[in-house]
Amino acid sequence: MIVLPIRVVGLFAALAFLVALPLLSGCATAPDTKDADALAEFRQINDPLEPANRVIFAFNRAIDAAILKPLARIYRDFTPKVFQDAVSNILANLRTPVVLANDVLQGEGKRAGNTLARFVVNSTVGLGGMMDVASEISMPRHAEDFGQTLAVWGVEEGPYLMLPLFGPSNPRDLVGLAADYFSDPINWYAANTSREFITYSRTGTTGVDTRASHMKELDDLERTSLDYYAAIRSLYRQRRADEISNGRGSSNMPAPGMSGLPAPAGGGAEISAAPLAFEPMTD
Amino acid sequence: MTQRRTFAVGLAAGLALLAAFPIVPAQASAELEKGASSFIESLARQAVDSLADQKVPRPERIVRFRRMFNDSFAVEVIGRWILGRHWRTATDAERTEYLRLFEDLMVVSYVDRFAEYAGEALKVYRALTENESTVTIFSEIVRPSGGQPVRVDWRVGRNKDAVYKIVDVVVEGTSMSNTMRSDFTSVIGQKGGQVSGLIEVLREKTDALKQEAAR
Repeated sequence: MIVLPIRVVGLFAALAFLVALPLLSGCATAPDTKDADALAEFRQINDPLEPANRVIFAFNRAIDAAILKPLARIYRDFTPKVFQDAVSNILANLRTPVVLANDVLQGEGKRAGNTLARFVVNSTVGLGGMMDVASEISMPRHAEDFGQTLAVWGVEEGPYLMLPLFGPSNPRDLVGLAADYFSDPINWYAANTSREFITYSRTGTTGVDTRASHMKELDDLERTSLDYYAAIRSLYRQRRADEISNGRGSSNMPAPGMSGLPAPAGGGAEISAAPLAFEPMTD
Repeated sequence: MTQRRTFAVGLAAGLALLAAFPIVPAQASAELEKGASSFIESLARQAVDSLADQKVPRPERIVRFRRMFNDSFAVEVIGRWILGRHWRTATDAERTEYLRLFEDLMVVSYVDRFAEYAGEALKVYRALTENESTVTIFSEIVRPSGGQPVRVDWRVGRNKDAVYKIVDVVVEGTSMSNTMRSDFTSVIGQKGGQVSGLIEVLREKTDALKQEAAR
């Protein structure tokens, strides 16, 4: 039995409170039911809590601008690249039990074998996970999480959710996040030996490492998008769909000149045959 | 009786599948894939030749990239598709203005990324025919700095004059066209469904980006 440290329970309660608070600011109103196109669009955006989500998004951006981004920038600019690579590799290696469990739960035997082999190679030859030797001998890294497993099992993602501090999500991925936390042996160890600092420092390091590795993409997106919130929402869903399909989905996506219909998340949209892919469309 | 019904259902399902995914003759498909692959490979070489040189000043790089962008991307089709149902309600003047601003935004947004990718090795590893005129080219960009290669899928269309154009770029599973469509649609929604509202925001954005570029 895992005994949860009171502070972790407190953290979840605080998160729940932060989620509940902006709900008071109301829901997005569905458009007039007579306008079929507008209604279809509303359903496809699937963000009934948009006003609340935007409030949380603004809060997250403020925290990011004040703390996370400056930290990530210092980390990126003032520590050696070798060190940063080692940190990324160690963090990925530590996630092995969770990735492996989800490979198995998804029935991905080959990928499970790959995850296990990578762990053995990188923990030994890779000096405790500091070097990703496995990638260099054709055992590429992949990630898995319980949110993806639920998707593979056929659970719908549900409406878009912006979580305080944790960022874009949905009910399915939120359950996944909690499940991954509770199924991680390192968290058990930390919780059972009152060494919560392990969990906190690992979470903090992961945050800075992830933020630093996405610095350029996020800066570009913020600079060039018209509505940063909407762009992030779209990208999050596309990334998740890609991760769930293990990178096999892109030819199912709608594209200009093909079908005008947006694909449901996770791919699988029919592509209608456009006779000439870039002949101007008729109105 | 049941067997016959199962057969009929199976046949109907099969026909529906055939209708949804028309089979392209293998030879035509191979030719399309070959043509599109070499189109992408030559575009990558062209990008290296004209954009990778860091000594070329940025305004000149923008001019070069605009030409390349118009030559290789189905700009108008992408722009229209992004606007979706709102294209129908836009006036002619709005359509023209929108397409002009859309091109501007694409050019100033992507010139640096293209120039950056240009110095790196693009490797086409697979092609997939989607229908008689559209093919997806799967490529990997290997970063000289190391790390995992970046997955880039190019969705390419061919018209009746056998000219190839890119209709979408999908980086690590995220589509440029789909992301912009969500972005633009959201702005139109905030502007009471008016394309003129989007045009206003687009103009502010492109002006800001151009000023930034001039500095």
